[in-house]
Amino acid sequence: MKTSTLAGAALASLPFIAGAAGLGHAQEPAKDKAKVFLSMSYIGNDWQAEATNMIKAMAASPDVASRIDLDVQVAGANAQKQIQQINAMVQAGAKAILVYPISPTALNQVVKNACSKGVMVIAYDAQITEPCAYNVSMDQEEAGRVTAEWLVKVLGGKGNIVAVTGVPGTSVDTLRTKAAKEVFAKSPGIKIVAEAPGMWSQAVARTELSKILATQSWDRIDGLWMQVGCFTADQMQLESGIAEDKLKPCAGEGSNGGRVQMLPKGTPVEGANGAYKPMAAPRISYASPPYSGAYALRLVVDKLSGKDVPLKTVLPLPIVTNDTVKLCKTGTWQEMSEGCNVFQPAVVSNPGWFASIFSAGTPEVGLKAALSAEPEKLR
Amino acid sequence: MSAVLPRPALHRRKAWGSALARHRGALVALAVFLVLFCGVNLLSGSFTYFQVSFIASGGAALALAAVGQTFVVLTGGFDLSAGAVVSLVNVVLGAGMGTSAGSQLLFGLVALGIGGAVGAVNGVLVAYLRMQPIVVTLATMFIVQGITLLVADKPGGAIAPEFVAALTGDAVPGWLPAPVVVVAAAALVWWLARNTRFGVSLYAVGSDEDAAFAAGVATRWAKLRAYVMAGLFYGAAGAFVSAQTGSADPLVGRAMLLEIFAAVALGGTALGGGRGGAMGSIIGAYTLMIAVNVLLVLNVPAFYSSVAEGALLILAVLGGSAGRRSPLAAHVRLALLALEARRTGTSAARHRSPPARPRLPDAPRRTSEAAPPGWVARNRKTLAYVLPAYAGLALVLLATQALFGNTLTNPGFFNALVVLSSFLAILALGQGTVILTGGLDLSLPWVITLVGIVVAGSVRGSDAAALWAVPLGLALGTAVGALNGLGIVLFGLPPIVMTLAMNGILQGAALVYSGGTPDGFASPGMRWIMTGHIGGLTPVVVVVGAFAAVATLLLGSTLFGRRVYAVGNSPLAARFSGVGVGATLMGAYALSGFCAALVGILLASFSGQASLGMGDEYLLPSIAAVVVGGSLITGGRGHYLGMLGGVLLLTALSTLLSGTMLPHAVRDIVFGLVVLGAVLALRD
Repeated sequence: MKTSTLAGAALASLPFIAGAAGLGHAQEPAKDKAKVFLSMSYIGNDWQAEATNMIKAMAASPDVASRIDLDVQVAGANAQKQIQQINAMVQAGAKAILVYPISPTALNQVVKNACSKGVMVIAYDAQITEPCAYNVSMDQEEAGRVTAEWLVKVLGGKGNIVAVTGVPGTSVDTLRTKAAKEVFAKSPGIKIVAEAPGMWSQAVARTELSKILATQSWDRIDGLWMQVGCFTADQMQLESGIAEDKLKPCAGEGSNGGRVQMLPKGTPVEGANGAYKPMAAPRISYASPPYSGAYALRLVVDKLSGKDVPLKTVLPLPIVTNDTVKLCKTGTWQEMSEGCNVFQPAVVSNPGWFASIFSAGTPEVGLKAALSAEPEKLR
Repeated sequence: MSAVLPRPALHRRKAWGSALARHRGALVALAVFLVLFCGVNLLSGSFTYFQVSFIASGGAALALAAVGQTFVVLTGGFDLSAGAVVSLVNVVLGAGMGTSAGSQLLFGLVALGIGGAVGAVNGVLVAYLRMQPIVVTLATMFIVQGITLLVADKPGGAIAPEFVAALTGDAVPGWLPAPVVVVAAAALVWWLARNTRFGVSLYAVGSDEDAAFAAGVATRWAKLRAYVMAGLFYGAAGAFVSAQTGSADPLVGRAMLLEIFAAVALGGTALGGGRGGAMGSIIGAYTLMIAVNVLLVLNVPAFYSSVAEGALLILAVLGGSAGRRSPLAAHVRLALLALEARRTGTSAARHRSPPARPRLPDAPRRTSEAAPPGWVARNRKTLAYVLPAYAGLALVLLATQALFGNTLTNPGFFNALVVLSSFLAILALGQGTVILTGGLDLSLPWVITLVGIVVAGSVRGSDAAALWAVPLGLALGTAVGALNGLGIVLFGLPPIVMTLAMNGILQGAALVYSGGTPDGFASPGMRWIMTGHIGGLTPVVVVVGAFAAVATLLLGSTLFGRRVYAVGNSPLAARFSGVGVGATLMGAYALSGFCAALVGILLASFSGQASLGMGDEYLLPSIAAVVVGGSLITGGRGHYLGMLGGVLLLTALSTLLSGTMLPHAVRDIVFGLVVLGAVLALRD
């Protein structure tokens, strides 16, 4: 009987192995293409899914597709698994590994090992501190400083503000929040009356703001500094009866919903709904741009074709203010390169979708790439 | 792990036979692991020393932590502080360790010391103050997380290279990787502990604490030592993570927590205690880690990776329970018997006899002087575990009043409090019912998210569409919950494994359904319920009131409620009393799925749209609220009003903390201390 249970265990695992054998033969990669892996930490949120779409679109664009084979893998939120995954990718003969690192430090040992075997490791959005790794990200301190300075200026250096931060314990959150607080500390008239971790989620931002408002009221608050959640904050102000022209200035938020709110009142848009409409909301909009992964893949292709690629790429801070916000008609890369930076609600029905998708360096990806992983058509 | 009922010992097996039977769980886990390991190596075409070395190093931290957790689980406990201790040890080593050999040795000992100290605190509170393990370790988890963030608020620091090499390098270059030695040492410690009086008392306490006590086992001392041993192993895991990563990250251990439990369950240790062992947990940990390699070799598309992992988890356990004695085989045998009986006309249902109506002796005449016991006297026991949460709530409200003023007399504050509590109040019924049956539902996060996305995507802002989409969403959640129940009842899967796997499968479903970009939004009517006003009152407040009334009746005064308690107290006794245990379990999980679906819809209505991952924040609070409200995590005791009190207490506390300017780390510590205090102050 015991042997039968053991055999049962073996049998249960067989389909995987059998399936693997079949797949392995079906997907034999062409010999002349370089094997490139994408190691994602976690895929279950809007930003990650959008960034993956853009990477897939970049990989599918004709020039890139002719040179590399991209295999996308998800390790989950546990750093141990990502370490093992990157090792497995090196063993599987990767030429380059694109990484969204779950931690800037936890991967250092495995990345060092990969580098020593001649594998290019490139992190996008979040960073890897190991010196041999390539990094593509924006300057988080600058983001915190610029947005805080904007808020101080709009408020005339005086007023009560609420700060909604990101995920406590991460480098990105600590750098942004610290830089912003340094700016606020220089203006004695600015007082932070409440602070809560927003976990970079509209849903959490709403819950945390509701908690704060249970003990404070809107008339005691003059402005908001948020990493994600200005769209929601304005929605909540409208619900509590604050007029559209009396909305508090809010620094933060790179979502399409937030940018549509920034458009001048009466701008004709298709598919406006509830708070997802133009209302000239006073705002400075920024977010980690989801195109960074696609940009990093572009660098991988450059490097594999023998070009020089810098170890550290600092992406320009994607800042949009009420003066520079401009509606796109179709959302092609061409159109975005001429300065438009927000999309029709009818096309992007999720207001929490991240709108900073334009980069001068990635003509292969536009709105379609971010929405459905389709590359731009080249003319 | 499959056989929940004790097996009849019809004949004595030979010694090796019984040894085999005792280690069945671990052996099966080993077989699954070996098949996967060989499969991966065959397919990737490389079987080298490096491959072995990587895999040994990759799973070692999880394996060490899982060995620690096994000690606690064997006593029938539950330790949520495991991941937090790993993080704390990691940042302390990253901040403090120097490059000298003495400093490295010292901090190696500090790592164990930190783990042992946290374990000792847990152990004293659980063993000597008789508090519930899950409440205690949840509170220490928050406190330790807070301290971790105070030590380091972001990743950084460096671990000495010699320390890294000692734990993750080669013990014998080219032949024996150091992680293999580390894990073998852990296994040796377990083996030694298991064969002492302490080891035996672990199993005795976990099987039946009262019987163990009566038999002269020092049950409290055994429990305390189990938590200390667990802490030491988490400390070792933290030291290993430090070596493996060469630096520190305050969040590194958080994501390990659920995987530690999965590893323990996969290795054949029964939650609730008394059966299993740490060898299985080690193999379980490596099986979980090798899933990463399996996904890579199989080239599983990104959106499906969590589905594949969930399926792997279920198959690994199912493989272990295959055979003539598996629950599935038993169910099939019973069904065949029933068919046979129906065919031949021998089924009991065909021969109804009048129900027995035994004549009870006359009730003793009440003497006229003694008044009948009052309501308080009759409900003393229930009150004793329901009231602490409300007492804690009152204290928190007073503190809020003292700090901000304008609280106790402000209807707006109470309105906001109930609106914020509504999600947990609803989840508490589902999670609470499952906990009452002795299980746990870990699939809540993605039931919430999936239903929210499906409903918002179907409604698209139209009230007319909401009329059919909302019931559809509720039906979807209920069906998923029933499926959880089916897996647990029919295949005998441990609830943690089944619901954790389901969570992964649903995550994949949500990603595939939405293509990674959820669209659609709640209708004006749905939004009105969560954000509108009727004379200063948000409509959902009325909904919560009605829900609480129905939930109290459901658990307290219905046949289903009675059966839930019966199953929780003892499935065997319940079965002999004629309770349909399987149906009751399925009902409990279906109810949990329904509640999660309702929360998904309310969350989408609250935010206006649904987003991926919006349910992630609700898993631990749902368990916390239930146990703070006085329910017993091992089942059989609890009252919905107590759970509601737990929800209100936790929400009021986090509202109070949100209004202060305390740093996040300090808030975590305060939160943990208050939860501990509330339960400690009025324990039974």
